[in-house]
Formats: sequence, structure tokens, C-alpha cells
Amino acid sequence: MTTHRTTAFLLSGSLFLGLALTANALSGPKIPQARGEKCVEPVEMMRRNHMEFLKHKRDATMRWGIRTEKHSLVGCIECHAAKGEDGKYIPVNDPDQACRSCHDYTAVTMDCFSCHATVPKEGAAPAGSKGDS
Amino acid sequence: MSVLTILISLLFYASGLILIIGVANRIRIYWRTPSPLVIPTTPAPLTRTGVAARLFGEVVFFQSLFRGNKWTWILGWLFHFGMLLVLLRHLRYFTDPIWWWVDLIQWVGVYAGFAMVAGLAGLLVRRLVVERIRYISAPSDHLMLLLLLGIGLSGLMMKHLVHTDIVSVKQFTMGLITFDWQPLPADPLLIIHLLMVATLMIIFPFSKLLHAPGVFFSPTRNMRDTPREQRNLADWAAKLDETRHSGAGE
Repeated sequence: MTTHRTTAFLLSGSLFLGLALTANALSGPKIPQARGEKCVEPVEMMRRNHMEFLKHKRDATMRWGIRTEKHSLVGCIECHAAKGEDGKYIPVNDPDQACRSCHDYTAVTMDCFSCHATVPKEGAAPAGSKGDS
Repeated sequence: MSVLTILISLLFYASGLILIIGVANRIRIYWRTPSPLVIPTTPAPLTRTGVAARLFGEVVFFQSLFRGNKWTWILGWLFHFGMLLVLLRHLRYFTDPIWWWVDLIQWVGVYAGFAMVAGLAGLLVRRLVVERIRYISAPSDHLMLLLLLGIGLSGLMMKHLVHTDIVSVKQFTMGLITFDWQPLPADPLLIIHLLMVATLMIIFPFSKLLHAPGVFFSPTRNMRDTPREQRNLADWAAKLDETRHSGAGE
């Protein structure tokens, strides 16, 4: 009797474990494919630290007057702003767009776009472009 | 799927079960324990509404502690309500789409994290510095504070110093509660944070942390002061009564 129960327990347990392991449909935010060759930092780094880069960039540019191209918000938007069916850019802080979808998913607010533009300048080339931050 | 993800996932299912079943069992025991004597600490309320108000004062404002010791009260209150707000802020990892009010209190939760850790640090200092308190402190009293402090500090560090990939973290937690496992980012602080939380969940039903459900079952706080208006007769005493009456009648 006890052995039967143990077997049943182990079987159901391993079945459950198997189910959990095979299911890998990733839920969560989906963002439009970015243009450009590659990001200015590795993806893993960007996911964790993009806010620090942007804040550092803000302080360096706004308070100390140091203007560089790396980590420029304009650069982010040039690659990550998607075009709608009408061929016009969709603002990056629209629902389900590059910035907003993840920020909505985790309830993180952005205050970048109360000042900064949410679409690239018309005619701006994505990769290696000269962003004037 | 990494070994780490599998181990942490299994750990959280186990600790979740232990927490829920363990606390439910404790509450069942509290519920069934007879309290045959009317022993509310006077002045005590005369009505049920009054008892509700008294318990509210205990649970929300720690009234007895306030009357007992102001330092312990302010530190304990900082810790408990900091922790409450931090826990509510964590609901963003367990709701999709996130409830509107959880979205609304995110910024409060960030500051509450500091309040929680400050309160805990103060309580630990009290336990170490106040001679009388140190004398009556068991190792578990210290370890409980250290565990909570570790959880708070690792959380604050992830928020303010060494970030983790919170989108992946949420995919992991949502995967846990929908039984559709997702990979956990292998960041040391995150792993430490989760391991300590699981430890806390496991020891909860076997430790002093049970004061959370226990306060509601405290006879000196949840009874009405009605010994004259109503006779409080326990079953076993009622039987004695019957025999005595029948004895007197003869």
C-alpha cells in the first residue's frame, strides 16, 4: 500500500516536473524588432542598466556639459522606434512599443519623454548615425 | 532550463506549501484551544464592535506596545509598515496586468524599503545594546532579525546598486504561479534574496513570526468585559454544575 502511494506520488511529481520543463512559451512584454546592427552594450547589460546609462548621460550632458554619442537617448530611439502601417514612426512610449511595454509590465515609470522626443528625426539613419543627444 | 531555475522553483513550491499548510494548521490549533476564563485586560470593550476596534488598534497602531515602550514601538512600527508597503509593491511581480493601485504605490514602496531596514536595524541594536533585552534574547530572536535584515538589504541593493533583469524576474514569478516555468536570471543578489525569502516562508509556521495570526486569538485582547452580564460557562464546568444541582435537590 505504502509503496503504491510512493510510486503514485513520484510518478505524478515527475509528470508535473516534465510538464513544467517542456512548457516554454515565453509570456511577457513583446516589443517591435529594433533596426541597426547591434546595441551599444550587450543585451544582458542593457536590460539591467539602461536606466543608469541614461541617468549618467543626463547628468554628464545637462550638468557638466559633456556631450558624447554613446548611451544617447536619441540613439536608442533611432533604432527602437517602430513604424506604423502608415509609414510614420510610432512614439516609443506608446503601449506595446519598445519602452512602454516592459515598463508597463513591471510598473516602472519613465520621465524621459516629458522633455525628450519619442520618435526619431525624419531621415535619421539607425546604425552609426550622429545623434546630437 | 538551468539547474538553478529548477531548484529555486521546486524550493518555492515546497516553501509555499509549508507556509500555507503550516499556518492553516496553527490557526486551527488556536481556534480549537479553549479559553474558559474571561480575562480581557481592563479597561476592556463591552461590545463586539468595541473588540473589533481594540484589535484594529492593536494590529494597525500596536497600541499595547505604544503604552509599553516608545522606542520599541516606533522601531517595530517602522519595520512592520515598511514591510507591508514593500510586500504590496512586490505584487507587481505577481499580477499581469498590474492592478492600478499597485502601480500607484510603487514609489511609496521604494521609500518604505528604507523604513523597513531602518526599523530592523534599530530593533537589532536594541537587542544587542539593552542589557535586559540581550539577557532574555534567544539565538532565534537574533537570527530572525538578521534574516529579515538580509532580505531587506539584498532587495535595496538590487533596487539601488546592482540591478537585476526585473522583466525576466517577473516572467519567472508568473511562470511559477501559472505552472509554466521560466528561466531565472542568475544574479547572485537575486538568488540570495530568494533563498532568504524561502527560508523565512519555511520557518514562519514554527517561529515567533506566528504572532501575526496569533494576535487575533489573544484572549486578553479579543474578549469582552462581560463577566457580570453573561455567565461564561465551559462545557466541562457545566457538567460539574449539573451534578451539584442534582446533588442539592436530593
